Amino acid sequence: MILYLLRRLVLLAFVFIALSILAFSLGYLFPGEPWQNFSGLRSASSEQLAQLTTLYRLDQGYIAQYLAYLTRIFSGDWGLSFASQQPLLQEMLTLLPATLELAAYALFISFFIGIPIGIIAAVKPDGVLSKLISAIAVTGYSIPVFWWALLLIMLFSLGLGWLPTAGRIGVLYEVNHVTGFMLLDILLSDSHHQQEALINALRHLLLPTLVLATFPTTVMIRFTRDSMLDVWEQSYIKTARAKGLNRGQVLYRHGLRNALLPVIRQIGLQFSTLITLAMITEVIFSWPGIGRWLIDSIYQRNYPAIQAGLLVISTLVISVNMLTEILHTLFNPLARKR
Amino acid sequence: MAKFRLLPDEYLARSPLTQLWREFSRQHSAIAGLILFSGFFLLALLSPLITPHDPYLQNDALLLLPPSWSELGLVQYPFGTDDLGRDMFSRLLVGARYTFGIAMITVLGALIMGLLLGTLAGMSRGVKSSVFNHVLDLALTIPSLLLAIIIVAILGPGLLNTTWAIMLALLPQFVHGIRNAIAEQLNQDYVIAYRLDGANNWQVFSRIVLPNIWERLTLMATMALSTAILDIAALGFLGLGAQAPTAEWGAIIADSLDLIYVAPVGVAIPGLLIFLAVLSVNLVGDGLRAAAKKRREN
Repeated sequence: MILYLLRRLVLLAFVFIALSILAFSLGYLFPGEPWQNFSGLRSASSEQLAQLTTLYRLDQGYIAQYLAYLTRIFSGDWGLSFASQQPLLQEMLTLLPATLELAAYALFISFFIGIPIGIIAAVKPDGVLSKLISAIAVTGYSIPVFWWALLLIMLFSLGLGWLPTAGRIGVLYEVNHVTGFMLLDILLSDSHHQQEALINALRHLLLPTLVLATFPTTVMIRFTRDSMLDVWEQSYIKTARAKGLNRGQVLYRHGLRNALLPVIRQIGLQFSTLITLAMITEVIFSWPGIGRWLIDSIYQRNYPAIQAGLLVISTLVISVNMLTEILHTLFNPLARKR
Repeated sequence: MAKFRLLPDEYLARSPLTQLWREFSRQHSAIAGLILFSGFFLLALLSPLITPHDPYLQNDALLLLPPSWSELGLVQYPFGTDDLGRDMFSRLLVGARYTFGIAMITVLGALIMGLLLGTLAGMSRGVKSSVFNHVLDLALTIPSLLLAIIIVAILGPGLLNTTWAIMLALLPQFVHGIRNAIAEQLNQDYVIAYRLDGANNWQVFSRIVLPNIWERLTLMATMALSTAILDIAALGFLGLGAQAPTAEWGAIIADSLDLIYVAPVGVAIPGLLIFLAVLSVNLVGDGLRAAAKKRREN
């Protein structure tokens, strides 16, 4: 296991080096001068330019420039945003929690609704209930997320007027940025209107979470169902039945434990799709997260922001991937052999 | 005593393709999906021939005509016209070319590239294949939309540029899948037997590996196709993919969004078409998967 972890860590380091090389080369690939893309300054006086050249080692070879870039990344100097002229790292650190909050709730729903429904669908694979669940699942992962979001907004916000269409919380409430997670921040604040603020934030949260959760939940239903059906045909299930265990015991002790192993892995594989969907959802619901910020950056030709966004989002996805893989190996001794 | 039979069972005597079709055609949902899929496919091929009006012709006498089922609509314009007087029905028909047709081309391109790279990775061993795998691991983790944003930032927006992005985003899963499928095949006894007969790498690949993995290839392609359709439509909707006059379904939704109160048809029907296109692909894919599983069990 330790050897396995070490190998994973080496791989992780390798992947991060490749990622940083990609992000560095974007400075050259994007339109505009490399010093503009690295610093985020639109124009510079001649002495500023000379200063940047020495700082970024632009007069030296690519390897020296790359090393200078790495030092800057690690020291937290990520350059400025073209649009706001604010430091990028700080800007992203305020935006990232909003995206994480949305993605985390969607993942949570997919876990706690998708898996049980998938198991129910696997109990009688040819029954009416199972067919119905499968039909709903295939509808759920076929629906384009932006259209689904528009339909729900039309129905619940514009038609019925139950839920707000955009933002994280009403403009009347002021919540201090502590953790960046809205619900936590509200609970941490000691205002008189905590209760109202919480309800308001939840109302804002409901539609985006529902939209974002649709795809992972339905994929999870199908995956759990298939995985369950696969495991149910294994010979150790027959053995367990032959031993005289009843259906529930077999399901819990032998079926679930084996069927849910690939599900852990699936979370890691689905995470990158989830982030793509979160970006689209954020645009539609004007959710102040990193996805909307990135898509705005492309409209504004804000190249330093795209470069930084690539680093942050990919690091996030890679870490989640690696974590689920390690968890999978931890729970599944068979996977350690490789 | 084992019974000697000159001919195997009637069922086993059929070719694998026939067996697969038998299992496939038993599922109603899969057949419905296949019909829908063929409809979209034909539409993508033939749509310029069957559009009643020019989809790009702006007719300022007929701006924002309601659909023909409303009292103010005209029967010549089944879904009405948009804010520039272009016939919605023709635009939607031509849209099948962009959203569905280009998605198919993208998948085909990714499949061919994936087959090349996956074969190289699957047939080679040692350091080369391990380095290759690590690069793939990186590529797998970059979300497709982020990849598209980066490519659009370098090359500028447009349908063709996002096609490259989607192709690149689909490629790693193909290479991974094909590599694993080939590695699995090469471990089989019949490969060793064929090698002992003196077959070289190319013969092993073309006579044994390829016929045995095409089923998985088709499955991978259907899964990738639904992703590709959704991605093309999403990028069109965000304004990064197909640009303004192009009648791509996602771009039509983005165009009609400002007029959602006046003409909800412009948002509802393109969305429904995207949904049906993806649904048909998913139904066919699920049906194929179930049929392939049943065929192998028999």
